[in-house]
Amino acid sequence: MNKTRTTALIAASAALSVIASGCSVANSGGNGSGAASGTLRIVLPQEPPTLEPCEASLTATGVVTRSNITEPLLERNPTSGALEPKLATEWTQTEPTLWTFKLRPGVKFSDGSEFTSEDAVKAIDRTANNTTLACNVQGYVFGQTGPLTLAAPDATTVTIKTQEADPLLPLRVSFIEMTKRDISTTEKVREPIGTGPFKIASWTAGQKLTLSSWDGYWGAKPAYTTAEYQWREEGTVRAAMVVNGEADVATNLGADDGAGDTAVQYPNNETTALRFTNDQAPLNDIRVRQAIDMLIDRDGIITSLFGGLGKPASQLIGPGVIGYNEAMTPTKYDPAAAKALVDAAKADGVPVGTQFRIIGRTSQFPKIAESIELMQSAFAQAGLNAKIEMMDTSAQLKYQLRPFVPDAGPIALMVMHGNQAGDAAFTVGQYFATDGAQSTGGTPDLDAKIKAAAPLTDAARQAAYADVFKTQTDAVRGFAFLANMEAVLARAKTVDYTPDAATGDEMRLADFKPKA
Amino acid sequence: MLTFLRRRALTSLLPLLAVVLGVFVLARLTGNPAALYLPENATAEAREQFSAANGFDKPIWAQLIDYFAGVARLDFGTSLRTGEDAATMALRAFPATLQLAVVTMVLAIAVAIVVGCWAALRPNGLADRVSGMLSMTAASVPDFWLAILGIWVFAIILGVLPTSGVDAGGASWVLPIAVLMVRPAGVLTQVVRGAMISALGSPYVKVARAKGASEGRVVARHALKNAAPPALTVAGDLAVGLINGAVVVESIFGWPGIGKLMIDAILQRDFAVLQAAVALTAISIFVLNIAIDIGYALLDARVRNKAGAAA
Repeated sequence: MNKTRTTALIAASAALSVIASGCSVANSGGNGSGAASGTLRIVLPQEPPTLEPCEASLTATGVVTRSNITEPLLERNPTSGALEPKLATEWTQTEPTLWTFKLRPGVKFSDGSEFTSEDAVKAIDRTANNTTLACNVQGYVFGQTGPLTLAAPDATTVTIKTQEADPLLPLRVSFIEMTKRDISTTEKVREPIGTGPFKIASWTAGQKLTLSSWDGYWGAKPAYTTAEYQWREEGTVRAAMVVNGEADVATNLGADDGAGDTAVQYPNNETTALRFTNDQAPLNDIRVRQAIDMLIDRDGIITSLFGGLGKPASQLIGPGVIGYNEAMTPTKYDPAAAKALVDAAKADGVPVGTQFRIIGRTSQFPKIAESIELMQSAFAQAGLNAKIEMMDTSAQLKYQLRPFVPDAGPIALMVMHGNQAGDAAFTVGQYFATDGAQSTGGTPDLDAKIKAAAPLTDAARQAAYADVFKTQTDAVRGFAFLANMEAVLARAKTVDYTPDAATGDEMRLADFKPKA
Repeated sequence: MLTFLRRRALTSLLPLLAVVLGVFVLARLTGNPAALYLPENATAEAREQFSAANGFDKPIWAQLIDYFAGVARLDFGTSLRTGEDAATMALRAFPATLQLAVVTMVLAIAVAIVVGCWAALRPNGLADRVSGMLSMTAASVPDFWLAILGIWVFAIILGVLPTSGVDAGGASWVLPIAVLMVRPAGVLTQVVRGAMISALGSPYVKVARAKGASEGRVVARHALKNAAPPALTVAGDLAVGLINGAVVVESIFGWPGIGKLMIDAILQRDFAVLQAAVALTAISIFVLNIAIDIGYALLDARVRNKAGAAA
């Protein structure tokens, strides 16, 4: 056999096969063609697993689906926090447990069918009441409300009856995307039909998703007629795509991803913290937990590791959320005072040298591993014994959500909480109440305060929840807060768009305009 | 030859089964994925419903029987994450990986043959030293670092290639293949060089030279053929790694291949997709191993004769 000839033949065949296929990659949907005029190219960190509207509280799904393909009855202004009309034009609390919504007339789905109150009732029922589907929105928003009783007295009116008086119901409803009455109630729908300004034009799984605007949308026609989504896991690659002119917008970037002068900084609603197991030594002693809190060099971490993105946190929500306690300040970094607290606990017989685990989720936020290492080092200098364990999401969730891993020992768990709803009720019930889905502590007094705050409105509500945060820190100290996080978005110079606190969860395409 | 192939096929089937079984069991040992797919405050009842609906409430042996019963019907299950057919997802992603692997290996082998032979002609000469240093470096450089460096230099600074993606025709192939072939080319160059030095010192090469054969003919016709079997074995191992999915390269360059699909399936505990992807790649590796054995038999008369004698 002539080896040289054979090798040359194989090489030629491979080259020919590539050329013959027009250098197109399998599973790519054929060759693309750069940006057409009127096309907005967005690069996300991950492909949406589904565009199912009832999963819109999952970031990867909501960032594409919400207010683009489907729309809610009303939506929360991310800056002011006020609820604004969308598919409902008005809403009133007609009885303590009854809310009435008037729908916008003349709204159509992108397939041409009319949007009526029957669609709205089916969509709310499917999202909030359907336990078979177990939609993510259901758990996040309707977890503590009990089933809703729904009715459609006429084509443009929807009534919702709650188990107890619920001043937050309109806010909760703002999380429900409207779908057609005939959508499956037993299976989730990957490619939904909605009333939003865009519809799904094509989805080459693994590669690209294209939305296109459609004639007949009830609102103003978007400035961009097409949106192309791609996804790249690496922040540096996403940033490079914008810098290189291959994409117009890249999300979820870190400070050192290289977005250069395309970078725009914005708060992303997330707060990071260590959550303690309060019932096992040495973390069962509040002095040890206070010491850990004092040993976190928030300014140092934000400056040196986060590249200045973020602000030291004093509580589990950020400013702008109802219930935020303005009087609370981040715990001061004070190793000497922390050491004194540890020594005092030790003198009283607390086994401060007992090892506890700091558990973190890999890649949950930029520099998470380095942040935890810095904390561990500070803890060691104060006489505490911490061991770091980094886990993937699935493994970490076993420690974050009930039912917790049994006999797991003392743990300081790194958590990142985003309150997209803008109200403390969506935080304290889960994290501070004794039976909260993500709570490892709590006291009867704190539980009573959380329960009492729920039905309040306006200033009383603000004050009651602010008190809940203060009580948690003073009396329980179940958390050591790290930072109110910020993120970076890369934006091409040809695009006009201002990111806000909701951008990471809900990127409204209609807000993007070509720069004049 | 047929008996040889049959025997090799049967012995290769065992590892294939072991891989499929191992992935099935190990994946389930990581626990029930309910926490990933249900709302944060899902009730115990909802979790039980989820487990029952997906068969996670059964003993592992019962799940295994269900799985093989499904496979017998060519039903690999449904993705928990996307709701799509798992086999469809794996089959959709696999050709992209295969394209990448084939082109990468062909180019890596071509480079290794040229550079390895060149270096072997004068052991410890300048060409050998330079190629040795470069091939050692190439074999050691991490894919991740090289990919980011490649994007920075060729896409950002020079602006001659796209950063990533598959939309730019032939240009889309350059960086992923360049990054991916560096390591196989480095390793193979070392192997070809070693095998060629040994072959060029053999009596039959001396005879060929004594008969007046040109240096090119000596290398290509006599030495290379005898140096090929070890290189083929190593090339086979490297190709297996690429077929398994060039995870890092696929992730960084947005290449829609099976490596990225498998990693996502592992992270999301999407067992059906993981098993379909592993089964598909295991079968491909099984076929590749058979092909390597055939190649080995064709190149090495001792193997061919042994196979013939066994038949």
